[in-house]
Amino acid sequence: MFERRLYYHIDWALLIAIFALCALGVAMIYSTTSDPTRGNSHLYVTQLYAIGIGAVAMVCTLSIDYRTFTDKSHLIYIGLLALLLYVLFLGTVQMGARRWIPLGVFNLQPSEFAKAGVALVLAKYFGETRGMPSWTDLAIAGGLTCLPLALIAKEPDLGTAVTLIPVFLAVAYLAGMQMRILGYMALSLVLIAPVAWKFALKDYQKSRISTFIDPSQDAKGAGYQQIQARITVGSGGLKGKGYMQGTQGQLRFLPVAHNDFIFSVLAEEQGFAGVLVALGLYLFVILRSLEAARLAKDRLGSYLVLGVLASFTFQVVYNITMSAGLAPVKGLTLPLMSYGGSSMIATLAAFGLVLNVRMRRFTN
Amino acid sequence: MAFHEERRRVGLRLSVLQYLVVVLFSALAISFWYLQVVQHDRFQEMADNNHQRTLPLRAPRGVLFDRDGRVLVENRHSYSISIVREHTQDLNRTISLLSKVLGLQEASVREIVDRHRREPSYRPITIVQDATLAQVAAVTARRLSSELPDVVVQQVPTRQYPETLAAHLFGYVGEVNDAQVSNADDLKSGDIVGQSGVEKVYNAMLMGEDGAKRVVVNSTGREIRTLEEIPPTEGKRLQLTIDYDVQKAVEDAFAVSGFNGAAVVLDPSNGEVLAFASLPAYDPNAFAAGIDRNTWSALTTDEDRPLNDRAIQGTYSPGSTFKMAVGLAALEEGIITPDFKVFCPGHANFYGRDFKCWKRGGHGAVDLRHAIEQSCDVYFYTVGNMLGVDKINKWATLLGLGVKSGIDLPNERQGLVPSTEWKRQRMKEKWYAGETISVSIGQGQVSVTPVSMAVYMATLANGGTRVTPHLLKAMDEGTGWKPIPPPAPQSKIDIDPDKLQAIRDGLWMVVNAAGTGGTARIVGKDVAGKTGSAQVISNAGRMAARTTKNLRDNGWFVFFAPRDNPKIAGVIFAEHGIHGGNAARISHHVLDTFFAKQDGRPLPPPPTDLKLDLSDAMAQPHERAAREEQDR
Repeated sequence: MFERRLYYHIDWALLIAIFALCALGVAMIYSTTSDPTRGNSHLYVTQLYAIGIGAVAMVCTLSIDYRTFTDKSHLIYIGLLALLLYVLFLGTVQMGARRWIPLGVFNLQPSEFAKAGVALVLAKYFGETRGMPSWTDLAIAGGLTCLPLALIAKEPDLGTAVTLIPVFLAVAYLAGMQMRILGYMALSLVLIAPVAWKFALKDYQKSRISTFIDPSQDAKGAGYQQIQARITVGSGGLKGKGYMQGTQGQLRFLPVAHNDFIFSVLAEEQGFAGVLVALGLYLFVILRSLEAARLAKDRLGSYLVLGVLASFTFQVVYNITMSAGLAPVKGLTLPLMSYGGSSMIATLAAFGLVLNVRMRRFTN
Repeated sequence: MAFHEERRRVGLRLSVLQYLVVVLFSALAISFWYLQVVQHDRFQEMADNNHQRTLPLRAPRGVLFDRDGRVLVENRHSYSISIVREHTQDLNRTISLLSKVLGLQEASVREIVDRHRREPSYRPITIVQDATLAQVAAVTARRLSSELPDVVVQQVPTRQYPETLAAHLFGYVGEVNDAQVSNADDLKSGDIVGQSGVEKVYNAMLMGEDGAKRVVVNSTGREIRTLEEIPPTEGKRLQLTIDYDVQKAVEDAFAVSGFNGAAVVLDPSNGEVLAFASLPAYDPNAFAAGIDRNTWSALTTDEDRPLNDRAIQGTYSPGSTFKMAVGLAALEEGIITPDFKVFCPGHANFYGRDFKCWKRGGHGAVDLRHAIEQSCDVYFYTVGNMLGVDKINKWATLLGLGVKSGIDLPNERQGLVPSTEWKRQRMKEKWYAGETISVSIGQGQVSVTPVSMAVYMATLANGGTRVTPHLLKAMDEGTGWKPIPPPAPQSKIDIDPDKLQAIRDGLWMVVNAAGTGGTARIVGKDVAGKTGSAQVISNAGRMAARTTKNLRDNGWFVFFAPRDNPKIAGVIFAEHGIHGGNAARISHHVLDTFFAKQDGRPLPPPPTDLKLDLSDAMAQPHERAAREEQDR
């Protein structure tokens, strides 16, 4: 199954960049969570385990031909839906949401795996259709995306649910969706927005958006995190305050610094220089992956790579924007860096697929 | 063909995505550059404000010493509990929880917070100035459990008055009020400043300079570490002219007497105040850590007016103690000689009115010395009449009566010695010669403050120098004691020693011969003095009022000693003391203590019984007959 020559086609550069980001993440987690006054925290150890498991998952998704995965993608998809349903009714409740399946050592968050699952099923669907996707194709693909999206949104975990939309859009776009359809979608979104504001959004979501527009209206409440994020990033300056020398993250003015706001802490402690390094690594990972999509032997491979990459890129861009206080605060993690086992494992597994596609570009 | 077409399209669209990603990342990089480089300073400042807190370290006020170096006023450590609103999420919750923890009324805590609401949020709002250990423990426990992270417990120096002596002299301290803050640029809200007495007058010296501690706090307000500490500078140490032993003697004797009143004891050579008292007093310690409302209202509504400084603010009729001024005026104006005699039949007629001597039987023929000794009213009616009110006014003023003494205490009031000019300006009326008769024995409109009486006696003692009473002897800025030169005298005249001697002799006889001040006698010390009693209300009015204590006569005793080359001069004013003799009994203990200390003898123990004469004058109408006449 794993032919020896495939080994030489592994994209080592991409792999190194990915693990460099993981290492950066672990370093920042260590910085924000090891507070001597609060007793030692071992979150960074947990993160290292997650990276280890993620690496194993990566080897798995790398070793088996991606076409095997896409062939079985309907099964994977159904299994995923089952897990999401299970979570919805029997999952553990934390912070008001039912997102996790307790697995003893850590909690599994199936929604993180939904991104790769949807990428697989959409890649297969569009890979099998020839020519420009018809309205029916788009509707079916949209339905396939919306089903898990609805289940995740119901948890509620709107942030993760929304990351599925770029997967659909990116794969459909690459599959040849006409630009004017994209235009229609944008138009209908604009029309739906006020209705959604009135009926669909919960109060806390509305306040998040309104405080984004004017953070000072609720400086101690919802706007607090946004203001603190800007202060954190801005005070970092060109060279940063030094590793573990940040005041905003270290003294907890910034909440969940090891999770949603890990990039802010990086910006504070390593400064603009550190930001450029991290942005460069992410950009490299994304461009290198797009390269894999271009090099893919078949459309299936391109779609799969892009599907995986779409949610990743969306999350990276959104989280980094948010960490500078330039976007409303949403519980979206920064893939590869933020603390979180499921996210780490799912992301590494997904990049296994990307490497897989590139590696097998010459095989038949 | 279709395949090729498709391949091309995928490539094209991938390129579009590539450029999109590059554009997005460039936008991110530019945003971060803008925040981190362009706006860095602004955010750096905000971050510093976030995590750094400056806590004031209150400077201890300067310690006050007596003239022998004994500590009179010092500082003790107390704990203050304050709210720092900087990181407060819910002020109402903090207020209600804190008042519960401290056992205070929520409304009163809220009121304190409201009063300081407009101040910067990093400045602590002190809720309790002098917290009990139980309060400190309760708050600290809740700070550790992060229930009250915005509450700060600080160790602060608090003024301490070890013995509640000389309350009005020291005054008291209190939180600076808004008017004071706006009048001085070096004061800020929350500062503790002197509000009366020496604490107020020498506040600038005593205050010292507050230090500051910059600490790092986390988002819950807990202090993580200290960045910088500027220690406070203690206020300057001041040495007062007060003699602790004399001061204590005054207050001990007053305490035994049960009278309210005032006392001022001076060194007649330079005006140094050896003792200064006003009674009833208050406990300055009650103010030191912020006075509570009940104590304050009790003090302000007390009929005895304990906050009133009788020694410098009370104006009273001097009665017979005024006679030396009249006598000296007559001598100096050349109207009489010491041997000038008047025959006293017990009354005399002036301008068609009959004025009685206090001694109904009369004193017979008396010269000046005996007139002072016997306090013969008819003698001074006669002399005063010969002088006229303006000459009396001139000499009384030169001796320090009817003017401010210039003592270094706030809010001194001025007494009054009438003159034709005064009456014309004030009453728009002509002075009637008949009015001079009452003035001659210190009745009528004459009023004096106890401190001016002390100056009066010091001037007689030192031969004409109207010294300025003062309290500050030396100052120590940390480099050793530096004497403070005494203030210049208010005026200086050269009294003919022979004439002055006649007055002194008369005063000596009051105490050492057949006079009314015998109770102040100290063997070998030649105490010279004069009693006086002055009515608070007319006898007729008093009969009508039918009340007891607070309408009884005031008793005076003014003194200096020894007669020749005096070392001490002063006044004891016994409010409602009935007789000057009772004031003289108080003076005896004071003088006895002073001379015992000077001679190196053991100090006399506090008296247990002053053997006061509390017989009411109303029971002896013959003694008061003359006065009754005046009161019409």
